[in-house]
Amino acid sequence: MRVGIPHAGNIYIPLKAIFQRLEVDYVIPPLNNQRTLSLGVKHSPEGLCIPFKLTMGNMIEAAEQGADTLLMPGGYGICRLGYYAKIQEQVIHDLGYNAEMIQLGVSEQKLLGLLQIIKRLTNNAPWPRIISACRFGLAKLNALDDIERLVQKTRATEINRGTANQIYTEAIKAIDDADNYRTLKQVKKTYLDKLQNVTRDPQARPLVVGITGEFYVLLEPFSNMDVEKELGKLGVEVRRTTFISEWTKFSLFLNPLGVDEKSKIHRAAQPYLKRDVGGDGWESVGEKVLHANEYDGLVHLAPFTCMPEIVAQNIMPKTRENTPVLTVLCDEQMGKAGLITRLEAFVDLLEYRREKRNNSH
Amino acid sequence: MATIGIPRALLYYQYYPMWQTFFGELGAETVVSPPTTQAMVAAGSARVVTDTCLPVKVFCGHVLSLTDRCDYIFIPAVRSIKSKTYNCSKFLGLPDMTRAVIPEAPPVLDIDIDVNRGKRVLYQNIYKLGRNLTRNPTKIRQAAINAWQAHLDYQSLMSREGLTPPQAIKIEQISGRASMIDSTLTQPSIAIIGHPYLLYDGYINHRLIPRLEQANYKVSTPEMVITAELEAATARLAGGTYWTYEADVVGAGEYYLRSGVSGIIGIMTFSCGPDSLMMHLVHRQAAMLSNTPFMNLTLEEHTAEAGLITRLEAFLDMIQRKKKRQVETCV
Repeated sequence: MRVGIPHAGNIYIPLKAIFQRLEVDYVIPPLNNQRTLSLGVKHSPEGLCIPFKLTMGNMIEAAEQGADTLLMPGGYGICRLGYYAKIQEQVIHDLGYNAEMIQLGVSEQKLLGLLQIIKRLTNNAPWPRIISACRFGLAKLNALDDIERLVQKTRATEINRGTANQIYTEAIKAIDDADNYRTLKQVKKTYLDKLQNVTRDPQARPLVVGITGEFYVLLEPFSNMDVEKELGKLGVEVRRTTFISEWTKFSLFLNPLGVDEKSKIHRAAQPYLKRDVGGDGWESVGEKVLHANEYDGLVHLAPFTCMPEIVAQNIMPKTRENTPVLTVLCDEQMGKAGLITRLEAFVDLLEYRREKRNNSH
Repeated sequence: MATIGIPRALLYYQYYPMWQTFFGELGAETVVSPPTTQAMVAAGSARVVTDTCLPVKVFCGHVLSLTDRCDYIFIPAVRSIKSKTYNCSKFLGLPDMTRAVIPEAPPVLDIDIDVNRGKRVLYQNIYKLGRNLTRNPTKIRQAAINAWQAHLDYQSLMSREGLTPPQAIKIEQISGRASMIDSTLTQPSIAIIGHPYLLYDGYINHRLIPRLEQANYKVSTPEMVITAELEAATARLAGGTYWTYEADVVGAGEYYLRSGVSGIIGIMTFSCGPDSLMMHLVHRQAAMLSNTPFMNLTLEEHTAEAGLITRLEAFLDMIQRKKKRQVETCV
């Protein structure tokens, strides 16, 4: 059995660590690139969103490398994502690959379901080994996200543009290579220190822009054309609340115990959107309201034809909190130059607003 | 007497008799918006972001046309009507979205329909809705029971007599039970599959049903199949049901593919989330069985009528030719 996984940001690093520790044969398809996208677009029903098309590309590339068991999130109550594994399995079979698709019902089965699937993949490895492997995976995930948070801050004020990005790329590689807790801890400390020591402009007062929207396009830089890096180049500090480590912490461990980290966001959205609309639509509206005083502006990322985010997009401009929102729809037709122009115009607008506000005080 | 506005869009076609009975029993009058027009679609489209799908734009147009004509507007948020199913986000957020984009609309009466959360919650929600009109719980209970009965009657009327929702609504209103259409069984039939708000809105689909009838075909729709058969067909093709209104597309598609109709036309709108997957399933199945011609029409507000007619003519020609060839080989 060879296990293949789709990409979503850095999720492959902890998964790889888990598979290695449990001696599962695995395939990590190439990181998302133009070929992945072309393959995905070619073999997907046309009306589907970019997360489907990219993961479809990943699946095909994994199958090309001999994967016969593919993991894909799914299950009821999210959005059309719940239906994706079914269609993707058909496409894989139609292409002549004999691979089995395993649905990870993350929203219903929670931690136990996930652990049971891992147990199945490892051919009944003993529980202590599985749990220790997952812990190590989580440690890597946390390290990655801690570094990314600091990178988002550093990008905005560094004097030599691009330093933070370079350190980040190196850090990802180093964390991926770390094979025990000691090296992992060392690597994390080294790179956090490196980022702390990047020379910054002491006078810079970066604009703060929140990034919210749909989970996949937020986390997969290839699908959003590196929107965070581009904002960093414009001297903007990016803040994002969605991180995979946060998500796993809550939806796998704390939510089943009754802790609801999102209740604050949902309460904030109440006056405008009273109910869950699937995906991350409710959270998008809530984040705008909740962080109105912290953020100078909000970039709202959504895949083209995403149902929950269209509801959010319709409601967001109508809230009393008048933080400017730039909705960026991501799909295979997106052009980088167009995105940059829009971001530049948005940042200009935010700067102008800030100046006006300061003058009036 | 309170008047309640009901937009003639989205779920109207499925549930109008039920809603009418419920509000009627509570002493309110229902006002339905007129059939869709170009001006309504333009007005609705101007309110929402461009990426919103056509049916929701149409819905907003209907709400706008009702703004001065009623005291309340009824907009339900239907999440599931069977356990473990799920609906498109636009249905879930419909009341909130309408409030946001049409602030001048009369107060919105909304209700959460989610059977996943249990009967108790559902009954409480119905009670909460009724409370807007009366304080008498027994009256609300009776109204809900009668409304449900009206809905069942409406469904069985359609499947028994082979009627479309607009025809059935008309019959129920004049409360005559005489069969309106004389279904000659020998007439070849074309099945159209899709959600009722696309099939029966003549503006959205450019009067597809009259066009097919003019070409001398009997038109079969998902409502003409009894629910149990639709569910069985859905299970055959898709395994478990995922979407709340999956039977309209997947169930009807699978059913008609094996029923010997002359052709099937699938109707969906551009950027429809659920249909992009469901229509794909039916399309794939049609290709696999390859015994019934299948055409998928994707509509949006820019769809040109002439283009649609051309495709329809080509499709009907193909069916004719296929039949002729079959006759020739038999001879």
